[in-house]
Amino acid sequence: MCDITAVLTVDLLAQVLDWLHDSRDLKSCRLVSRAFLQAERMHRRAIRALRLGPLPVLLRRYVGSLQSLDLSSCPSLDDSALSLSIPCPNNLRSVSLSRATGVTWRGLEVLASVCPRIEAIDISHCVGFGDREAAAVAKACWLKELRIDKCLNVTDVGLAKVAVGCSRLEKLGIKWCFEISDIGIDLLVKKCLELRELDISYLKVGNESLRSIASLSKLEDLALVGCEYIDDEGLYFLSNGNCSLQSIDISRCENVTSVGLTTLAEGQQRLRKINAGNCSPVLTSTFVSKLCTLGDTLIILKLDKLQLLASALEIVGKNCRNLLEIGLSKCNGVNDEGISWLVEGCTHLSTIDLTCCLLVTDKSLLSIATCCRGVKCLRLESCVLISEKGLDQIASCCTDLKEIDLTDCNVNDNALKCLSRCSELLVLKVGLCSGVSDIGLSFIGTNCSKLLELDLYRCTAITDDGLAAISNGCKRLKKLNLCYCNQISDTGLAHLQLEELSDLELRGMVRITSSGITAMAMGCRSLTQLDLKRCYSIDDAGMWALAQYTENLRQLTISYCTVTGLGLCHILGSLRCLQDVKMVHLSWVSIEGFELALRASCGKLKKVKLLGKLQDVLSSELLQTLQSRGCRIRWVNKPLVFKG
Amino acid sequence: MCMKQIIGEPGIDLSSDSKMDLKLTRNSESFHKPNSSNHNLNSFNQASQYFPNLSPTNFLSRAENLQQNLKTKSTNSFEPNLNSGMATQNPPLDWDPHAMLSNLSFLEQKIHEVQSLVQSIIDQQAEFSSRPSELATRQQLATADLTCIIIQLISTAGSLLPSIKNTLLSNNPALRQLVNPDFNNNLKCEGLIRNFPETARNSEYEDLLRNLDNEADWMKEPNPPPQSDIVDANPIDEHDLKESDDGDAEREHLPPGSYIVLQLEKEEILAPHTHFCVICGKGFKRDANLRMHMRGHGDEYKTPAALAKPSKEPGSDAHPVTRYSCPFVGCKRNKEHKKFQPLKTILCVKNHYKRSHCDKSYTCSRCHAKKFSVIADLKTHEKHCGRDKWQCSCGTTFSRKDKLFGHVALFQGHTPALPMDEVKASGSGQGNDDMTEDLGGYNGNFASEECLTSMDVKGIDESRAYFSPMNFDGFGALDEFGRGGFDLEDNPFAFIPSGFGQRSGDS
Repeated sequence: MCDITAVLTVDLLAQVLDWLHDSRDLKSCRLVSRAFLQAERMHRRAIRALRLGPLPVLLRRYVGSLQSLDLSSCPSLDDSALSLSIPCPNNLRSVSLSRATGVTWRGLEVLASVCPRIEAIDISHCVGFGDREAAAVAKACWLKELRIDKCLNVTDVGLAKVAVGCSRLEKLGIKWCFEISDIGIDLLVKKCLELRELDISYLKVGNESLRSIASLSKLEDLALVGCEYIDDEGLYFLSNGNCSLQSIDISRCENVTSVGLTTLAEGQQRLRKINAGNCSPVLTSTFVSKLCTLGDTLIILKLDKLQLLASALEIVGKNCRNLLEIGLSKCNGVNDEGISWLVEGCTHLSTIDLTCCLLVTDKSLLSIATCCRGVKCLRLESCVLISEKGLDQIASCCTDLKEIDLTDCNVNDNALKCLSRCSELLVLKVGLCSGVSDIGLSFIGTNCSKLLELDLYRCTAITDDGLAAISNGCKRLKKLNLCYCNQISDTGLAHLQLEELSDLELRGMVRITSSGITAMAMGCRSLTQLDLKRCYSIDDAGMWALAQYTENLRQLTISYCTVTGLGLCHILGSLRCLQDVKMVHLSWVSIEGFELALRASCGKLKKVKLLGKLQDVLSSELLQTLQSRGCRIRWVNKPLVFKG
Repeated sequence: MCMKQIIGEPGIDLSSDSKMDLKLTRNSESFHKPNSSNHNLNSFNQASQYFPNLSPTNFLSRAENLQQNLKTKSTNSFEPNLNSGMATQNPPLDWDPHAMLSNLSFLEQKIHEVQSLVQSIIDQQAEFSSRPSELATRQQLATADLTCIIIQLISTAGSLLPSIKNTLLSNNPALRQLVNPDFNNNLKCEGLIRNFPETARNSEYEDLLRNLDNEADWMKEPNPPPQSDIVDANPIDEHDLKESDDGDAEREHLPPGSYIVLQLEKEEILAPHTHFCVICGKGFKRDANLRMHMRGHGDEYKTPAALAKPSKEPGSDAHPVTRYSCPFVGCKRNKEHKKFQPLKTILCVKNHYKRSHCDKSYTCSRCHAKKFSVIADLKTHEKHCGRDKWQCSCGTTFSRKDKLFGHVALFQGHTPALPMDEVKASGSGQGNDDMTEDLGGYNGNFASEECLTSMDVKGIDESRAYFSPMNFDGFGALDEFGRGGFDLEDNPFAFIPSGFGQRSGDS
């Protein structure tokens, strides 16, 4: 038998591997032979760990080549686990500890000391993190990229630590760090002169921050989403500053008016991406005319919820000819005329967001189909006036269409029949379209085999057969929403044999029972998120099946299920990746059941949603233990209401 | 006379002690309530009630006078002697035989000196008959030496006193702490210098001592009789006062006669008065009471106009310009100081005295670190004192965050300190600048100890300040103090009067 490596050398194999992106493909590759495994080992640059257990072995195996480590979905990660799992001499450049709430500053200090060449750290959404953690991160002096979004306790002092410690920072995200003020931003700007990307969204900073930021000569990308204290004056500073911005996101800045936008467009002539959505609602024509001066450079323009006249769209269409993406969601003034002017000019558009543009009809779709044949993403949610005619045009002309959102558009099976011609379709959303039935789904199932995401929220006409058609045709489906499709029963669920399915929502499907869940779980082994709320008939047997088959389950909602303490205890104890459990109104579970189940979770949980009344009856020691392990408990006080 | 003085001395000492104690109890009422069952404390409190009536100003001004006369007349060689006498006077808390022995040997030496002096007078009697002025000088010298001996004798005897008191008060540790040796000592010296007799005024001095004896006696009684007659027995001589002040002004190269220097007694300064007599400096709570008092200074104050409520412009021009001297000897604001700088108003005196020579008994309720003796200072501080102390990694602290960040922006490598760092360096952050320097070496040791409480650091801070040699300049008895037995474990630091360490002589 001839050794394949004689022909296919390791470096050739590595080049082949460059083209393999899917983890399953890589897995099959690894399984070919030892040589292949070795080649894969040397080729691999990144690891995303789902569980803590095999991590040290994995890391030791890949330590030579590994550059990027993602621990964000690792449950029960704490300081000791972190310091134990990272091997000492390593080439790690990037570590993600997003949502790693069990880690403290000590772990971060260890991380910074054992990874001398680390360039990127992500500790976003570790809500308990504060200045001490920021100070620990700041010890990684070669850091270029840092995300500390939603580390709620980080103040100016923590930011100053980072600014002084990591002066080479190029990308920084401090979104939702509410404690940071102008003073901190000012110091950051003085110390980190290399900054290229900065996200200060939702911060309570004012125009003074923008005055400081404007002096950053290398800044290209700035996000200011929801900065309520920033107004036109701040944008004036930006437009007259040293920076030459390429991208700016000023959406949801309530005090920014079109005057500020105009000055910004005047001063920053190299802007490629503008997101001005949800600012002050009135958009004057001067801003739009200033956009013309940006002309060809502009590629992304989002003007959500602004008052737009058709003439404004005409100006955009005539001047911004290289526009790739336009967002016009909730723009009341957008009509067919405006759209046609827009697309006549911007023929390169690939993403068009017309969500809630209630005046848009099939004519718009016709003009889009004729002018923008390369369109890849169409968002038409709540465009109630469109019909299968328009979609037929789209489907016949825009063969490259990958994503379409028809939620609440009242489309029917014919529309799906037309769309099924787009064989490249990856994302299809037809939620709330009661006209969609098994027939439509059968077209999709037969033609759109590449589909990754399907949203059938409240498509009540769908039965088991439709689901069978989807399951048979769209084998690559990752995300499936079947909420309130209450005609589907266990038989339909048993058809779901989708190996790649990771996200499944079965909320309010009253007919399904544990046997259906068992069948589904056996088929969908990669499930990470499962919503079973209000599936009243699901009991412990379903839990046993989930515990046995869906090992990677990370997020689970079982509110209103007829689960007992035993089942709850078993599932919380067995699922090693489980991090987020919503278990409100489990009337069959006793207090002891909750107590035992939460203890059985062994500190893996990061988020728990429980009935408020339990707050007093659960032992305080347990709650303290949970919280000290980084678990957030949300107490809800909703009444117990059974809905069909 | 000598014996009498020795007998009288404990009285003086006790009274000065009680003054001190009194002030401490009053200042530290929040944490140290006087125990009503404690007889001693009770009597001290009563003493305070009668204090204003004693009008210490009278003693004081006269004593100043005397002291000054003495100084100008005595030769230079006298002064070091006096100083050395003062130096050895520092009484240890416990009776120390070594100190006693050194005192006695000093006395012996001094007696020999006087002996030889008097012998020389006898020998040269014939020569002096032709030069009477020289004889007078010699006589004065002898008198000065004798008085020096008396002082030394009294103080040596008086050093026994604390040990007696210790045995008395040993049941009450709090009270024991209040017996502050340093203050004792100063008051005693002052009192002695003040009451220094000229040979011509011996009778008067005896009267004075008797009064003090009485004072000491009634202090031991639960219900002492009012002593106002003592005050009246020694009316102030305005002329004398002016003379001495003129002399003062000459030395200071200030226009002679352009102002009067008044020196208030410390009790007067610390009394909660706001209206003061411009002639004798006595304080009153109400202006009306002052006007009543003024009647005693002459008929011009008895007119209806003078007794009426003061108009917007009080007739201050009727009096010569008045400046004030701080009663603390050695202070720049004391008129004995070489570079005397007078204080402008009574309020200045009050504030200066409290700030420079008193306990800082008002602690900031926010940072629990800063202490003040003037309540207005505390209020000013509290306005700016946040719980957050903005501190840089270099140890510098700032009251405002933007100031800290400006500093951090300016210096390479400096970062804001985290709360843990704050705790470790709180000692340097809270106190005076000189203490910051003292503690500089400690920061490194504390760096790793998170659990170190600020209280501990404060303790170290205070004790260091306490033993800092700078506070005992010119006293030279540091070793005795060290041995004096301030067992730090027993004493909560709150009770150590902080003015003790912080009184660095000059304001």
